[in-house]
Amino acid sequence: MYQLKGVTKRYMRGKNPVDALAGVDLTIEDGGRLVIQGPTGGGKSTLLQMLGGLDRPTSGTVELDGVDLASLPESRLTKVRAESIGFVFQSFNLIPTLSAQENVETALVPLGLGAKARRERAAEALESVGLGDRPTHLPSEMSGGQQQRVAIARALVKRPKVLLADEPTGNLDESMRDEIMELLDGLWREHGLTFVMVTHDSSLARKAPRVATIRKGKVTVTENAAA
Amino acid sequence: MFFTYLRRELRRRRKAALVVASGLALGIALVIVVSSVSSGMSKAQDKVLQSLYGLGTDMTVTKAAAAPGSGGTERPRFEFDAKDDDEASQSTDRVMVQGFQTLAADTVDKVGAQDGVADAVAGLSLTVMKVDGQFKRGEFKQDESASQGGQGGRGGPGGGQPQGEVRGGGASFDVNSFTVYGTDVTRQDLGPLTSSTITEGRTFKAAETDAEVAVVDAAYAKEKELALDKTVTVSGTDYTIIGISTADSGDAAANVYVPLKQAQTLADAKDKVTTVYVKATDSQKIEPVKAAIQKNISGTTVTTSADLADTVSGSLSTASDLAAGVGRWLSVAVLVAAFLVAGLLTSSAVSRRVREFGTLKALGWKSGRVTRQVIGEALVNGLMGGVLGIAVGLAGAYAVTAISPTLTAQLGSSGGGGRMGGGGPMGGGGPGGQSASKTLDIALTAPVSLTTILVAVALAVAGGLVAGAFGGWRASRLRPADALRRVA
Repeated sequence: MYQLKGVTKRYMRGKNPVDALAGVDLTIEDGGRLVIQGPTGGGKSTLLQMLGGLDRPTSGTVELDGVDLASLPESRLTKVRAESIGFVFQSFNLIPTLSAQENVETALVPLGLGAKARRERAAEALESVGLGDRPTHLPSEMSGGQQQRVAIARALVKRPKVLLADEPTGNLDESMRDEIMELLDGLWREHGLTFVMVTHDSSLARKAPRVATIRKGKVTVTENAAA
Repeated sequence: MFFTYLRRELRRRRKAALVVASGLALGIALVIVVSSVSSGMSKAQDKVLQSLYGLGTDMTVTKAAAAPGSGGTERPRFEFDAKDDDEASQSTDRVMVQGFQTLAADTVDKVGAQDGVADAVAGLSLTVMKVDGQFKRGEFKQDESASQGGQGGRGGPGGGQPQGEVRGGGASFDVNSFTVYGTDVTRQDLGPLTSSTITEGRTFKAAETDAEVAVVDAAYAKEKELALDKTVTVSGTDYTIIGISTADSGDAAANVYVPLKQAQTLADAKDKVTTVYVKATDSQKIEPVKAAIQKNISGTTVTTSADLADTVSGSLSTASDLAAGVGRWLSVAVLVAAFLVAGLLTSSAVSRRVREFGTLKALGWKSGRVTRQVIGEALVNGLMGGVLGIAVGLAGAYAVTAISPTLTAQLGSSGGGGRMGGGGPMGGGGPGGQSASKTLDIALTAPVSLTTILVAVALAVAGGLVAGAFGGWRASRLRPADALRRVA
């Protein structure tokens, strides 16, 4: 379970301080699904970075299962990212020189698995996203939707507790968008993940049970009973 | 995963990898060529020095040059008797000690007793000047007109006296000079003869201390049509030729080698030697040994290989200076530039891969693992540069050896004769103690030693590590959030 208390992230823009997050309090239950919405530059991605342990707040605490990510030493934080958090990015962020299977395997490298175990688990993950027949394809040989599927397989292959997605459909057309959302929803249900997604897309937000709207660093959470 | 990732990245970025590798290759190739040419220069100098000293000699001991005007030198005199026999040719030769300076024979024992001296052998260098030819008397021709007319003849009005003039006559002499070296036949492992190889016959036997036998230099033998088992005459003594020697490089140290006692008899220099050849126990401690000899045995001049190398001039010296100076600095400069370029290119490659490395860090890769990946790539680039550089360097060194440019070495000492010890076939070392000089043509080679190759490999690894350090440092400072912010 995530528990954020008074999270502030202050940047300096020239000589002027700017609060990307201003005293955010937020709780996300295990297995919960939260969509973060808001205007560009409102602090959505910053909040996601705090949740993912990619950055540290200027003040406040970001607890994941009782452990404050903000005060963890770098090595422990790296371990948390390696074991518990899966990321999906808007631009897929695949390693262009590695095949689909090898890209998925990169997420298993920090876990210290042997080559054989890595190969087997990566193949399974690719199978689960419908790309079992394309393990040797390079990212450049695949469509945007397929690349995002590989990225999703990479995020889930380590069997994380949390899945964080930053505009996962931002670079995809509408049909591809629905396909990917269907896949993510299915995996969320299947694996019981805590799923946090940043999106601009209001239609996606409407389908989410909880929506956190962030403006000028402040977060407002609305429950969507219909979803 | 490390090697798969490494292989893929290098294949994908082969152009950039090639640029980095080529820069390092250029530096490494230059180092190989310069160091092999330097080693060739050093070999060439050694050859020049060897041709004077013989193999294994670290220094020579000669008598200190006498002060000018001290009367230490004597000029050779040639005397010919007036003979009645018209057509008789006359011949005389003078055997002179080279440099006209000798040491007592027991100097060799004193030198041998010094600390740090492994071996000391004495020798006597002689120059034989042979003058042969004939005087021809002038002929008196009577003036016929004067005898007939009796008037106005050249004889004047002498009346009765035969009148005429002496015509023709004169002298025709051939001067032949050659060098003789008196060698200690009991200890032939040191001294000038070691710089030659016996190509016919044999060398001296230890028992032939006073035998009338000689070893003749092949070039001299050819010139004078001397052959094995024939004799060579030196100052009236016939020496049986037991061996023909060929100089390993350049000119031979002497034309004729005879046992030391024989040389002493020829020069009327009983118990005298010109040079003591010294081998030190440790080639790194030559200077202290030199100092000890000079201090403990007065009136001697000690000349080391280094001293002699200082007297080398000509294109060999120029080329050697060039290799040592410009060549070395050029290769260092190119190498440093190559290292820097490799480092900057690697660092710039990391900058282009910020998102990639940021993603890996977000996936839980430790900074160390990302850094290792970058260093690994740079190291392989460096090794590729090393292989390329070694190939180019070997080709360059091979080309130098194949072309074998000829370098001229002039060995000269400005002092009186004798400094050069067994100073070879007396270039200008003739009578009067003119400056002894010797000119040798040496073909330059560029031998590549295993050490040079190992240095090249070490440089390649160092180049890779320097480049990797640049890139790795850059990669280690990346924060996953910084990397991802570029994407958002």
